[in-house]
Amino acid sequence: MKYFKLIRRNLFRNRLRALLTLTLIAAIFFFVATMLSILQLFDRYEDQGQGANRIVVQSGISLANLLPYAYEAKIRAIPGVVDVCKMQWIGAYYKEKKNFFANFAVDHDRMGTVFDDYKIDPKQLHDFEADRQGCIVGQELVQRFQWKIGDRITLKRQIFSYDPELTIRGIYTHPINRSALFYHMDYHQGMLNNFGQVGTFWAKIKDPSKMAAVSQEIDAMFKNSDSPTETVTEKQFQAQFMAMMGNIKLLFGSICTCAVFMVILLAAITMSMSARERVTEIAVLKAIGFGQRLVMTLMLTEFALLTLGGGILGVFGAKIIYTFVPMGELTRGFLVGFTVFPTTMGICLAASVLVGLLAGGWPALNATRLSVVNGLRRVV
Amino acid sequence: MSLVEVRNVHKVYKRDSFEVPVLNGITLDVPEGDFLALMGPSGSGKTTLLNLLAGIDRPTTGQILVDGKEISRFSETALASWRARHIGFIFQMYNLLPVLNAFENVELPLLLTKLSKKERREHVETALKIVGLADRMKHYPRQLSGGQEQRVAIARAIVTDPTILVADEPTGDLDAKNAADTLDLLQRLNGDFKKTIIMVTHDPKAASCAKHTLHLEKGMITDLTTGAAAATA
Repeated sequence: MKYFKLIRRNLFRNRLRALLTLTLIAAIFFFVATMLSILQLFDRYEDQGQGANRIVVQSGISLANLLPYAYEAKIRAIPGVVDVCKMQWIGAYYKEKKNFFANFAVDHDRMGTVFDDYKIDPKQLHDFEADRQGCIVGQELVQRFQWKIGDRITLKRQIFSYDPELTIRGIYTHPINRSALFYHMDYHQGMLNNFGQVGTFWAKIKDPSKMAAVSQEIDAMFKNSDSPTETVTEKQFQAQFMAMMGNIKLLFGSICTCAVFMVILLAAITMSMSARERVTEIAVLKAIGFGQRLVMTLMLTEFALLTLGGGILGVFGAKIIYTFVPMGELTRGFLVGFTVFPTTMGICLAASVLVGLLAGGWPALNATRLSVVNGLRRVV
Repeated sequence: MSLVEVRNVHKVYKRDSFEVPVLNGITLDVPEGDFLALMGPSGSGKTTLLNLLAGIDRPTTGQILVDGKEISRFSETALASWRARHIGFIFQMYNLLPVLNAFENVELPLLLTKLSKKERREHVETALKIVGLADRMKHYPRQLSGGQEQRVAIARAIVTDPTILVADEPTGDLDAKNAADTLDLLQRLNGDFKKTIIMVTHDPKAASCAKHTLHLEKGMITDLTTGAAAATA
């Protein structure tokens, strides 16, 4: 601690340079934190429902193909299946296209058992079940559209031939999926003249170790039918959507790596300048008894503090900005639930320290390795 | 026994493929409490000899003993630690750290000791009082005159109560008045505080303040004079 004053003073010896470097590092770590958070958000989408012991039965031809209602009873009859809930992606929006979010028709009376990780007040659940045009919504949608229980809303069609007219009967909470809307499958089917087809069946499995076996049994059962199935776990189901975007993780990861590499090079230029202009001072410190290791430690601490400062500004700046910027809305529902996650913050801050050490290591080593005599000769 | 013993020291610098001999078999004794001036033309090896005595450079051959210890055999780390305890440096260009104020500059060598903050403060205040700058503690180098900067540098050199003060052209960058004040201060440190001082200078007036003057030429001692005779030698 007794050296901290020396470190602090050296850190801001050239205020403009320090400020510009801080800003540059902050900007890059703002960008990196954003990219990593998007990746982490995708991971969370994939992890949605993990541990909930659910499998998803979908068409083996394509996700756009529907499955007959009759499958429900057959799936339910398989040993190990606790319950089955039909689910249909509706793809409607609220008022304007920019107000897009996930909305589904579901078996209202099956939600409680199959989607038991969605928590809702029992009275609200009862009200939802009792109202054919009732719906439940996530907390984030309530905040986004200033909705309240009892509000009547109309969604605009995009896929099906009707505009769902609904009444909000409940608000659910869920650790990940906080911005979806669920309404009655009966209402949906009724509006489509009970055509008896649905996109997916979600089955709750009693024993998680039997999920693969049950999935195989389901697919085998419908193998030679007109509508073969492909049954996957919920994680695999979510991963399908990520895969549709190509290897976006590799792309984002590569961009982040390039950004960090760039900041290392830029910081190294600044730190080289800083170390070079202090050669005589370093020689003086060594002459009066500061060992090479101590001088090196002081310089590296200074450089790491500078980059950590930039990292903190960038990461916490991103955290604050994304608290107020509705990313879900801006990206039309693509980044619903977006925030800078604590893990991302930790990774970025650790990376910022590492940038300081890597970028400053070589200049500091060169400056401290110079002999006292040569160091003093630079100016004297 | 002398405080400093230099035995047949040679120093050769390598410049690319050339070898440049700077010191050629110097043998010298500096008793404790001496004030020795090193004089000679440029390139005569006086600063090199001072650097060797201060432990910031190593002889190519020969021995340098300070207080009975052969410092030329110390490792870099041991030498740094030895310098912190035994050597006080005064440079021609003062070499204060511009980011620290006078108090903090003087405190620097004490950071390497185990002294408490309070003890460090007492030592620094005493050192600055000795050089007559107790009222300039909070001033940064840029806010001080050249003479004041050199006095802060002297305070930094004496704050650890070192065995030897080494001064490389301490008046070289000062006007006549400040040079005289600095020399007066060095004489006081030698006379009142019994500090052993080794000073490189071009200035015969500065050399006349020393007890002895050693003349070097082409890396060899050509003459050793005493007191005021040094100035005219």
